[in-house]
Amino acid sequence: MNHGQQSGEAKHEDDAALTEFLASLMDYTPTIPDDLVEHFLAKSGFQCPDVRLIRLVAVATQKFVADVASDALQHCKARPAPVVKDKKQQKDKRLVLTMDDLSKALREYGVNVKHPEYFADSPSTGMDPATREE
Amino acid sequence: MSGERTQEDPASSSGCSESYEFSHAAAKAAVAQVCESVGYEHFKDPALESLAGFALQYILQLGKTATSFANLTGRSHCNVFDIILALEDLTGNGDEGVSSESCSLGRSVKLREIIDFVNSSEEIPFSQPLPRFPVALSDRSKKMIPSFVEIGETPPGNHIPLWLPAFPDPHTYKETPMWIERASDPRGDKIEQARQRRKAERALLSLQRKLVCKISSGNRVWGDMDGVKEEIRGDEAELPSVSPSLSGEKVESLNRDALSVVEAFAPAMEAARDGFCNEVHTEWKKKKPVALSKLRSEKKFLGEPLDLSLQMKGENRPISFVRDEDRDDKRRRAEFILRQCMENPVDLNQL
Repeated sequence: MNHGQQSGEAKHEDDAALTEFLASLMDYTPTIPDDLVEHFLAKSGFQCPDVRLIRLVAVATQKFVADVASDALQHCKARPAPVVKDKKQQKDKRLVLTMDDLSKALREYGVNVKHPEYFADSPSTGMDPATREE
Repeated sequence: MSGERTQEDPASSSGCSESYEFSHAAAKAAVAQVCESVGYEHFKDPALESLAGFALQYILQLGKTATSFANLTGRSHCNVFDIILALEDLTGNGDEGVSSESCSLGRSVKLREIIDFVNSSEEIPFSQPLPRFPVALSDRSKKMIPSFVEIGETPPGNHIPLWLPAFPDPHTYKETPMWIERASDPRGDKIEQARQRRKAERALLSLQRKLVCKISSGNRVWGDMDGVKEEIRGDEAELPSVSPSLSGEKVESLNRDALSVVEAFAPAMEAARDGFCNEVHTEWKKKKPVALSKLRSEKKFLGEPLDLSLQMKGENRPISFVRDEDRDDKRRRAEFILRQCMENPVDLNQL
């Protein structure tokens, strides 16, 4: 009973926090426009007249994209700088979003977007590096 | 994410290629903005496209899962808890699993993350104004025929329900006569018609009068010259063929009778000498160019008989010397008059 009461209270708090959060969503304008999100949600059968929920979905997607992009950025920065002994270029890496970094970042999300190698010179070409050692 | 997923072909997932292009381009722009906020400065196009595709797939998946959760509980409209559950479903936290408690704020890791994200990250609105999406993507609404209810028509026949599209208007398939709305005024039309007729009649009358006047004046000249001509040829055996019968409108008879024309012409020349020419000139000047055709025909008459008169002179009449001089004089004067007459019609023309 106590546990139930506690959970009840917690729920009340949660609900209050939730409503507060949803209200705060109205102030925050997500980068992905509402119309675009609404269109794609309608495609999948999602039906809701409430704008806040659409904003929630937009924010969730934005967070997802931001996470993937930041992971890719980490990979990009982690790569050693091009060894060019030029006076102008001093570890001035151009931060470019490449397929390579993206595929590495998305791997953690369970998405395989790796391009096949141009040519295969050994049987283990294109395989996962972890399994390659085996 | 649920398992490995190869990149799906975006064109096949969305039915219409037009809507796909527009929405995909908009998504690409939004995703690029997000990446820019993260720290990227440049993008490779295939990477950006695939990331945008992933973002759209994420939205689609969220929507599908949320809808299925709502449908499970017997609702058609989703609420916030459906979305939270869907988010949990997509994160792939296998160990914790989806429990009933996780739909609350306290348990939902994902939601907390999102809240943190909202609080921490700065607001980056979409850079360009986006047109109203459903209008751009679907033109079904334009082509849709309104139902009977929408236009307030009762369907012809009880067997047709009201929510079906309405029948087209009868004028689209029935031929109806054209009705030109013009205020018809029969009385006014008649009056106008009568007026125009009167005008025409007046014009004709005036023309006739002028012709008659011209002819009569001409006849007057001829008539007067009858006596003069007789005087001139008093002792000649020839009968004056210019008879009073010439008086009147027998200009056509002049054509037939060349001799009579000649005879008629001689007195005219005499009259011209005496100064009748002036009268004739003024008369001519008074006349309108309408009578010009008559003048021209007379000019013809003037032209021809002169030669004839010369011929006649040569053939028929006995030449007396006294008369010859007179005739030469007359001829010269006649020629002069002729020239003047020929010029006059020209002047009248120019008038």
